[in-house]
Amino acid sequence: MRAAFAILWDSFQLLRARRLFWVALMISMFVALMYASIGFNEKGMSILFGWKQVDSEFLQKGKPEAAAFYTMLFTDIIARFWLAWFAIGLALISTANIFPEFLAEGSIGISVSKPVGRIRLFLLKYLGGLLFVALQVGLFTLIVFLSVGLRLGEWNFTLFWAVPVVTFVFSLVYVVAVWVGVWTKSTLAALLAAGLVWGVSLLAQWTESFFYQTAYLLPESGMKVDFKTGEATTGNADVERSNAMATAHETSKAVTSPLPKTRDCTLYLKRLIRFPERDSLLSGVTFDMLLSGQLPDKKMTGAMRRMEDRHSAWYVFGTSAAFEIVVLGLAGWIFVRRDY
Amino acid sequence: MDGPAVEIEYLRKRYGGFEALAGVSLHVPRGSVFGLLGPNGAGKSTLVKSLLTIVRPSECRGRMLGEPIGHRKTLRRVGYLPEHARFPEYLTGREVIGYSAGLAGVPRSTTRERTARLLERVGMAEWGDKKLGTYSKGMRQRVGLAQALVNEPDIVFLDEPTDGVDPEGRIEIRKMIEGMRAEGRTVFVNSHLLAEVEQVADQVAILAKGRVIETGTVAQLTRRGCRYEVRTVGPVPPGIREGLEREGLEVKGDLITIQADNAVPVQPVIDLLRSAGIAIREIREAKLSLEDIFLQAVQAGKEAT
Repeated sequence: MRAAFAILWDSFQLLRARRLFWVALMISMFVALMYASIGFNEKGMSILFGWKQVDSEFLQKGKPEAAAFYTMLFTDIIARFWLAWFAIGLALISTANIFPEFLAEGSIGISVSKPVGRIRLFLLKYLGGLLFVALQVGLFTLIVFLSVGLRLGEWNFTLFWAVPVVTFVFSLVYVVAVWVGVWTKSTLAALLAAGLVWGVSLLAQWTESFFYQTAYLLPESGMKVDFKTGEATTGNADVERSNAMATAHETSKAVTSPLPKTRDCTLYLKRLIRFPERDSLLSGVTFDMLLSGQLPDKKMTGAMRRMEDRHSAWYVFGTSAAFEIVVLGLAGWIFVRRDY
Repeated sequence: MDGPAVEIEYLRKRYGGFEALAGVSLHVPRGSVFGLLGPNGAGKSTLVKSLLTIVRPSECRGRMLGEPIGHRKTLRRVGYLPEHARFPEYLTGREVIGYSAGLAGVPRSTTRERTARLLERVGMAEWGDKKLGTYSKGMRQRVGLAQALVNEPDIVFLDEPTDGVDPEGRIEIRKMIEGMRAEGRTVFVNSHLLAEVEQVADQVAILAKGRVIETGTVAQLTRRGCRYEVRTVGPVPPGIREGLEREGLEVKGDLITIQADNAVPVQPVIDLLRSAGIAIREIREAKLSLEDIFLQAVQAGKEAT
C-alpha cells in the first residue's frame, strides 16, 4: 500500500511539474467558467455573468427550453468536443513520455530493484498517467455540476459519469502510447502510434456511422438520397432499405469491433447523463439541428434516437476494454520480461 | 544473522549470442566492503543488476542475505545506487529519498526522520527542499547515496559511486562507505577506479570478460608481488653483481631487487654490500598496487583466451 501510494504520488508530482498540465487545466477552467457564466433571466440569456444579454423568447428563466439548452450545451458540445478531443489530445502530449523517461538508464533500476513486483509497478505507473485526465475532468465536472445545480436547481450526479468515461476514453489512446513507449523507449514513436490508432479508430467509427445513417437512418426518417446526383428528398412514406448499404454497415461494424471506440464512448455519455424529461420545444433536437435551424420531425427524432442507442454498452465499452486489456497485457509483458 | 551477504554459486547471463557473465561464482562476507573491479564491459553492472532483479540471469544459483537470489522480499533489505543515476528533476532531494523509502515499504512516519538524518549525513541538509534540476553532479550522487540508505539496508550496492564526483567529494563518499561498514552493513562497490577501491575495500574480485579472474582480500592480492629494493651509491660493481645474479637476484645499475614477502632474505645482501664497502642509499619494501594486480590479471586473462 505504501509503495502504491509512493508511485501514485510520484505520478502526481510529475504532472504538477508539467507546464502543459497547468495550461490544460487553465483552459479547462476557462471553459467551465464560461459555461458557468451562462444564466437565464426574464428577458433571455445572459453570458459572462450578466455582462452580455441575449434576448430570447424561449430561453428564459424558468422555461423548460432554457434548461434543455443549458444541458444540451454540456452533452452535445463540451463533452463531445472539449472533453473528447482537446482535453485528451493535450493529455496525450503531456503523458506520452512518462514510460520512455521511466525506462531510461539510471532511472528504472532504482524502482525495479525494490520489493515491488514488476507488474504492480507497471500498472501503478500506468494508472498514474491516467491521473492527468481524471483530475482535469473531475474538477471540470464539479464546476459544471455546481453550475447546473445553481442555474437549474437540478443536482444531477449523473454528470460525474464524465469522469470515468472520459478517463476511459483517454486510457484507450494512452495504452497504445504506453505499449510503444515501453517497447521502443521513444516518446515520439509512442505519440505517433497513439495518434495513429486514435485516427484509425475514429475513421472506422465514422465509416460505421455513415453506413448506418445511409442504411437505416435515412429510410426510417423518410429521406431518399440519389447517390448519383446527390439529390435528397424528404417526407417519403416508404423508403426501401438498401441491402448493399446494410451489408456495408455490418462489415464496417465488424471491422470496428476490435478497435477502441473513443467516439462511441463519448457519445454514450449522453445516454449516461440523464436529465429529467422536459416538455420542451427542444425535445429531440440536437445541437446540430439547432444550429442548422432544423425543426424536430417525429420520424427523424425517432430515427435519431435509435441511431444514438444502436450500440450496446458491451459493444462500446466491453470491446474497447478488451482492446485495452490486450494492449496493456502486451506492454506489461514487455515491461516484466525486459532486462534494464 | 550468519552466513555470507552474497554467495553466488553460478551466475550466467547471455544477451543473444553475447555472454556477459560466463558462470561467475563469488562470496561476499557480511559487514565487509567488497570491491568488484573490471574494465569497461567486463560485466560488473550486469552482475549487480542480476542480484537486484534488474536483469534476468540466464542461469543463477546462489543466495543473498540468506534467501535465494531474486527473492523479492529480500530487496527490502537492500540499497542501490545505479551507475549514472537519473532522478526526476521535478523532485526535491527530500522527495527522491521519500520515493525510494515508499517503494521499499518504509513507513511514512519513519521516513521523515530518516530523510532528515540522511540529508544531514550526506551534507545536503540545506539543499533537501530544492529541486534536483538545480543540483550539481556531486550533489545528485550524495542524494543517490542517501536514498540507497533510507531503508537501513543490510547490503548496499554502489555502482561507480564516485563517477563524475570531484576529489573532495570522492573522499567524502569513501568516508561514507567506511561509515556504512562501521554500522555493520555490507557494501558492494563496483568501480573501475582501483586506487579508491584499494583504500576502502576489504575484499576484491576482478572481473574480465564475464569471468572472475582474481579474488581475495586486498592484502592477499598485493602481498603476492611483495619485494625489497636495495639501492647503492653508484652502480653495483660487476663482481658483486655476478654473485647476486647467480643467487637469482635481479640487479640493474644501482638497484638490487629481492623477491620476498619478509625481510629475512635481504639481510645477507646487506652484509655482502657492507663487507665490500659499498654504501647503501635506500632499502625499500615494495608491493604491487591493486592496479598492478588488476593489469596483470586482465593481461593474463587476455593471453589465456
